Amino acid sequence: MLKFSVKRRPRKLKGVWTGCGSGPSERIKYLRHWVGKLIRDERIEGREDRMNETRGYAEQLISLAIQNGENHRPTMEMATKWFKEKEMTYKLFKVLVPRYENYQTSFTRIQRLPIEYPGNPYYNVVLELKGNPYPSIFPEQRDKAGLLNNILIEAAKKDFYNEHRQSQVVRDSMERDIVGLERDTLQVRMDKSGSGKVENVKTGSTDGTDVDKL
Amino acid sequence: MNTSLIKHLCTLLLRTNGELSTISKRCYQSHRIRNQTLDKHRTSPLNKQKTEDAKNDSKPVTNKDPEVPTRFLQKNPEFLPNPDWGYRDQIAEMVERNDMYRRRRNIFMPEFYVGSILAVTLADKFALGKTSRFLGLCIYRGDQGLHHKIILRNVIDNEGVEMMYELYSPLIQKIEVIKLERRLDDELFYLRDCPLEYSYFPQDMESQNIFKDMPVTTNTIKVKLNPRPWSQRWERVDLQGVEPFTGWKSEKQRLKLKRLANQPQVKKEWEKMDLMKHYRESIPPEESMRIYGEVVKDAKDWKNREERET
Repeated sequence: MLKFSVKRRPRKLKGVWTGCGSGPSERIKYLRHWVGKLIRDERIEGREDRMNETRGYAEQLISLAIQNGENHRPTMEMATKWFKEKEMTYKLFKVLVPRYENYQTSFTRIQRLPIEYPGNPYYNVVLELKGNPYPSIFPEQRDKAGLLNNILIEAAKKDFYNEHRQSQVVRDSMERDIVGLERDTLQVRMDKSGSGKVENVKTGSTDGTDVDKL
Repeated sequence: MNTSLIKHLCTLLLRTNGELSTISKRCYQSHRIRNQTLDKHRTSPLNKQKTEDAKNDSKPVTNKDPEVPTRFLQKNPEFLPNPDWGYRDQIAEMVERNDMYRRRRNIFMPEFYVGSILAVTLADKFALGKTSRFLGLCIYRGDQGLHHKIILRNVIDNEGVEMMYELYSPLIQKIEVIKLERRLDDELFYLRDCPLEYSYFPQDMESQNIFKDMPVTTNTIKVKLNPRPWSQRWERVDLQGVEPFTGWKSEKQRLKLKRLANQPQVKKEWEKMDLMKHYRESIPPEESMRIYGEVVKDAKDWKNREERET
């Protein structure tokens, strides 16, 4: 089963190679060329619609090879028909099958390339086999926590936080000393007149301090 | 059988039919919610999804194929859905399969292939005894789900007759296999263009002794075609069960038809290589195995043998 979305109907690939004929036979010839190239180079560029078609055929070939193995005659015949070069059938069965045997995702990756204005009326695309030896298309983000600047900034952040917390602790302790009570024991009690008075929850005695005047 | 009893049974069946999924072939609706989007919303966001590459580093997937009894897939080809994605609907398929299981508990459907001789008894209110029985050679077996159908061919009063039966129709009382065998082709529509001797089987033919898991033989008979014109262009089809045709009008005609048959747009050599075409026209093995795993579980409750009338 192909583990990426495939269109319901195949693309006709109009005008595959200008001047070389058209129709389903030419389409298959074209796809044969590009599937072989993909297996050989492991990363190819081209028009989006063409590359999407080759992706399906390449993945089907690989999945058939994984399912049936090289001793299965129909798959071997299919592989020899699809590749112009004999080395590619060898690569399919000896290199790609062990690589993709335990894969749960698709074996290929496709990514649109940026448009260089004015450009073409279609998207150009990169199609690559996963696990290829080239550097990845998306650069991996380096871990920059080890840079000196970042170390100093992190230290400064920590210091600031510690200071802020220390001052809060001091303020709390000062409050306690002044008031002589723990936090959350004081409460504001509203009178009938509407003015509030600070009250000690435990003892029930008021301080006389008016909330309005605070 | 009592007429009132039959009426009662038919009304019972019709009432249950109300619950039966009447799924006709739907046209592809682009505004419909696709299964992909449905599945996305079904999975919980609480399950943290591993990154793509991390998925591949985990333990290897062991595809344990469910234990399937001998020739189960060939005996019951109707449980696989239509491979065309425009007609796929997982929930509808599941509901349809449930209805098929319910039917299977009430009637025994034997093993047969194209080329076997079957006799089907239908409930027919205008017939004597309220049933009608037709014996014939199975020339076609197709369609998926509740639409699964067969075509039986026989000769009655020197006239070739073909009857089409939908196996999951509640009107069918009984399906008997008179002779269990295979032919060299998957479809025997060429018998329409053959002498009637090849399609004649007596209606009171005695049935062969059929036991469970018996080996199925292939009848390698080679049939002779009538002189042209034919109902289909058999010269373009690679038929195994037909003798090479010799009744050409002239050598010129034969060569012309051969040339036309060998045209590239007729031969379509590229279709043998077209992997995506094969993919689009079949159910992938993982899915078919999953479906048959469910079917096999339910098959224990099906009617295994015909009940002998006392």
